[in-house]
Amino acid sequence: MRLEKCWFCSSTIYPGHGIQFVRNDAKIFRFCRSKCHKNFKMKRNPRKVKWTKAYRRSHGKDMTQDSTFEFERKRNRPERYDRNVAEKVLKAIPKIDKVRVDREATHHKNRMKGKKSKEQKEAAKELEQGIVLVKAPAALQQDPSLTLPQKIKVKVSQKQSEENHAMEE
Amino acid sequence: MGGKCPHRHVKKRRYSHKTARRTKFLVKGDDMVYDELKKPDEQKKSLPVDEDLPGMGQYYCFHCDRYFSNVAVRDEHFKTKRHKKRLKQMMGPAPHTQLDADLAAGMGMPDNGPKLMSM
Repeated sequence: MRLEKCWFCSSTIYPGHGIQFVRNDAKIFRFCRSKCHKNFKMKRNPRKVKWTKAYRRSHGKDMTQDSTFEFERKRNRPERYDRNVAEKVLKAIPKIDKVRVDREATHHKNRMKGKKSKEQKEAAKELEQGIVLVKAPAALQQDPSLTLPQKIKVKVSQKQSEENHAMEE
Repeated sequence: MGGKCPHRHVKKRRYSHKTARRTKFLVKGDDMVYDELKKPDEQKKSLPVDEDLPGMGQYYCFHCDRYFSNVAVRDEHFKTKRHKKRLKQMMGPAPHTQLDADLAAGMGMPDNGPKLMSM
């Protein structure tokens, strides 16, 4: 079983899913879903569409260089079956996957490093510029027009509702 | 390129939309044009005489994959914004391929095994 990658968004295509287009020069284009196929037909460039892996890679959003990428690759050479090797591979898969996930997490953490201080700086600037719009609590008490009017409670008696019924009839 | 689309309910004026759009299907993909342009000059095919093409297939724009009826029209095309845009696009990085998609998905380069024949 070979798991292919989508031409447009680079997601994994399992057997029986998606659609494939073979151009008249025998080049194969595989798509995971109609969304990707439609985008291809519209001649969109995956490097310029933000939700694709190609965009995220080329703009430094995802990890690009890593040794864990060397394990998953297209093998155009048939591998001779060996029970021991198969066992070792099965044992290694979760380990390697964990390493990759951890590294991705650190990459994301590093990427988001300056974000909080930047946001706080921006918020402080906005507050400074818009301070004229904020009223002091004392001013609110003096001028009732600045606050919302108080809620007025009205008691509804049972008798009144009966009268309404009568009117409707 | 593209025919005018008549209303479907007028029976007389119906025609197959596909034939009208045929030229659209024949346009080469970006990567094919890019590969053609990357070839050294000696390898580029000279333009064969073809009666079916405009101007016997002699006036061709490699970048836009279009044939013109004579030199004047082709030179006029070279001045257009669309052609210049295309020129810029073809000068840039190579178009997206399946290999790029695989690499972006976190796969390594394909393993083709050792070379059997030394070249």
